[in-house]
Amino acid sequence: MKNAQVLLDNWPLLLPLLILELGLMIAAVIHVLRHPHYRFGNKVMWLIVVIVFEIIGPVIYFAFGRGKNE
Amino acid sequence: MILILFKKELRETWRTWKLPIMLIVFVIFGIMNPLMAKLTPEILKMSNLAGKLSLPAPTSLDSWTQFYKNISQIGIYLFMMIFAGIVNHEVSQHTLVNLVTKGLSRNAVIWSKWLILLGQWLSLNSLSFLVTWGYTAFYFPDNHSPHPVLAFLPLLILGCFIAGVIVFASTITRSNYQSLLIEIFMMIVLYLINLFKQTVHYNPLSLMSKNLDFLQRQNSVADYWPAMLITVGLGLLLTFLASRIFAHQRL
Amino acid sequence: MNMLEIKHLDKSFGSKQVLHDLNLVVPQGSIFGFVGENGAGKTTTMRLVLGLEKSDRGQIEINHELVHFGQTPTNRFTGYLPDVPAFYNYLTPREYLKLCAQITKIPARQQSSRIDELLSLVGLANVKQRINGFSRGMKQRLGIAQALLNRPQLLICDEPTSALDPQGRQEFLELLASLRGQTTILFSTHILPDVERICDQVGILHDGQLRAVGSLATLKQQYAQPLLQITMATAQEAATLAQWLQQNPSLAKDAITTDASVITIPDAQENNQTWTAVLEALTQQTLIPLKIEQVAPSLEQIFLKVVQPT
Repeated sequence: MKNAQVLLDNWPLLLPLLILELGLMIAAVIHVLRHPHYRFGNKVMWLIVVIVFEIIGPVIYFAFGRGKNE
Repeated sequence: MILILFKKELRETWRTWKLPIMLIVFVIFGIMNPLMAKLTPEILKMSNLAGKLSLPAPTSLDSWTQFYKNISQIGIYLFMMIFAGIVNHEVSQHTLVNLVTKGLSRNAVIWSKWLILLGQWLSLNSLSFLVTWGYTAFYFPDNHSPHPVLAFLPLLILGCFIAGVIVFASTITRSNYQSLLIEIFMMIVLYLINLFKQTVHYNPLSLMSKNLDFLQRQNSVADYWPAMLITVGLGLLLTFLASRIFAHQRL
Repeated sequence: MNMLEIKHLDKSFGSKQVLHDLNLVVPQGSIFGFVGENGAGKTTTMRLVLGLEKSDRGQIEINHELVHFGQTPTNRFTGYLPDVPAFYNYLTPREYLKLCAQITKIPARQQSSRIDELLSLVGLANVKQRINGFSRGMKQRLGIAQALLNRPQLLICDEPTSALDPQGRQEFLELLASLRGQTTILFSTHILPDVERICDQVGILHDGQLRAVGSLATLKQQYAQPLLQITMATAQEAATLAQWLQQNPSLAKDAITTDASVITIPDAQENNQTWTAVLEALTQQTLIPLKIEQVAPSLEQIFLKVVQPT
C-alpha cells in the first residue's frame, strides 16, 4: 500500500505532530471540563470546537471561550 | 519596576495557559512546514493529474515557503487573538486598582506588556524557526536556501510592531473582540499600502513577505532598512500612544 | 495637621452630578467614619482621593501634596481596600503580596517577614491554594492584607465590613481600632453601629455634600435629643399609656412610638415637660412601670435627621 509507505517514510515528522496536536486538544478538553463557565456557548459546543478544529479550535477557546476569571 | 511587572506578566501568560498553548502551536507549525513541502508532490501524484505533470522534487525552498506562509497568514493572527485582551482584560477586571493605589506607575504597566509580547514573539518564532530549520537541513540538504538566519531576522524585528499594535488596540478598546478587529484593521491598512509598489522598502509588511528573497540573495536585505526602522519606530510610537491614553483611563 | 483635605470638589458622571462642592478634612491620626446611603458619593470621593477618577473642579491634598488624576505619586502614602477587591486569580496570596511588596518598594530583606505577619493577621497563613478558589470573605481578608502591607499613613476602606460574617466583622473592627494613632483611617460604611464603635470623627454625606461632620459627641449634641424609654410589664399596659400620652397636647403626638411593652418619647429638656407628662399619665392610670430611663440618641437617629428632606 502506497499511502502506508508515505506515512512510514515520514514518521519523524508525523509522530511529533500527532503528539502535539493531541496534547493541545487534551489540554483544551481538560480546561473546558474543569472550568464550566464560558463567555458564551456551552460545554458541548466547546468540546466539539476544540476536538474537531485542530489547532485553531483550542486557540479560539483559550482566546474567546473561557470564562473571564478562569 | 518594569522588570517586576515583566515577571508578573510572564507568570500570567504561563499560568493562564496562553504561552503553553502558543508554544505547542508554533512547534506544530515548525513541523508542518517541511512536512507539507515533502507531501505536496505525493498528494498531487495521487490525484488524477498523475502522469500529466512532471513534478520537480521538493527542495528546502518549499519548506521555507511554507514557514513564512504559515507565520504571516496564520501564526500572526493566532498571536493577536490570544493576546488581544492583554490590557483591556485587566481594566475590565479592575485588577490594577490595588497596584496603582500603591503608587505603581501606569507607564510601567503598558511598557511591561509590550515587552512581554515582544519577548514571546521572539521566542515563539525562534522556536518554530529552529524546528523547521532542523528538519529542512535533514530532509532537504540542498543549497537552494543559503541564508536562513538572515532571512528570519526581519521577522523578529517585526515583533516590535506587532507588540505595539496589540498593546495599542487593547488599550483603546473594551473587549478582546474589538481589540482583534482593530489589530486586523491595522494589518489591512498595511496590505493596502502594499498595493503601491514604490512603498515596498518602507512597509513593515515586507519583513514577513520578502523573506524568500532574503533567503536566496543576501544583498537584498540591505534595501529594506527603512522598513526595519519604520517597524521599530511605529512599534514604539504605538506603545507610547497607548501609555498616554492609558494614563487617563478609569481602572 | 491634616492628613487629607478636600476643597470644593465637584464630580459628575454624564448628567448626574455626584458631588457638589464637597469639603472634607481628615485630621492626622483620626479614624474617620464616612457615612451615607448607597449612591451618596462615598466610593466616588474615595476614588478621587486615590487619583482613580478625574474631578470636575476642586482640589485634594494628601499630606499637603496635591493629588493628580492618573499619575499618582501621592498614592505612596495610601493603602486602599476597595469594596470588591480584585486580584490575579492565578497567584497564591503569598505571591500576590510579594508583588505588592515589590511595587511599594518594601526592602527585599523585610518582604517575607512582613508578608508572613500580614497573612497570619488576616488568617490566611496556611492557605496554599491560588486566589481563584477564594470565597468573598477570603478575598476581603486578602484585601485587608494588601491595604496594610506598606504601613500606609492613610488607609482608605470602602464598605470593608459588608462582605464579612459577624465574627470577621468584629475582628476587622478590632484590627482598625488597633491602628489608632499610627494610621489615619477613612472608612466608609452604611453600618452605623460600626462607626459608633471605632470612629472618632464622623462625616455624613448626602446628595454629594457633607451635611454634618464632627466627633460623635458633638453630632449628638447638635442633632439629636435624648430619648425617654418607659418599659411596662405588658404590651397592653404600654398601649393604654401610649394612648393617654398621645392625648397630651404638650407632647409631639407622632414622635411617640410603641414597640411591644416599650414606649419611646423624645425627651424635651425644657421644664422637664416630658417627665412631668409621663408621670402624670402613670398616676392617673395607676400604672406602675418596670423601668423609666433616658437613653442617648444613636447615630442612626442623627443620620436620619441630617438626611431628611427640609
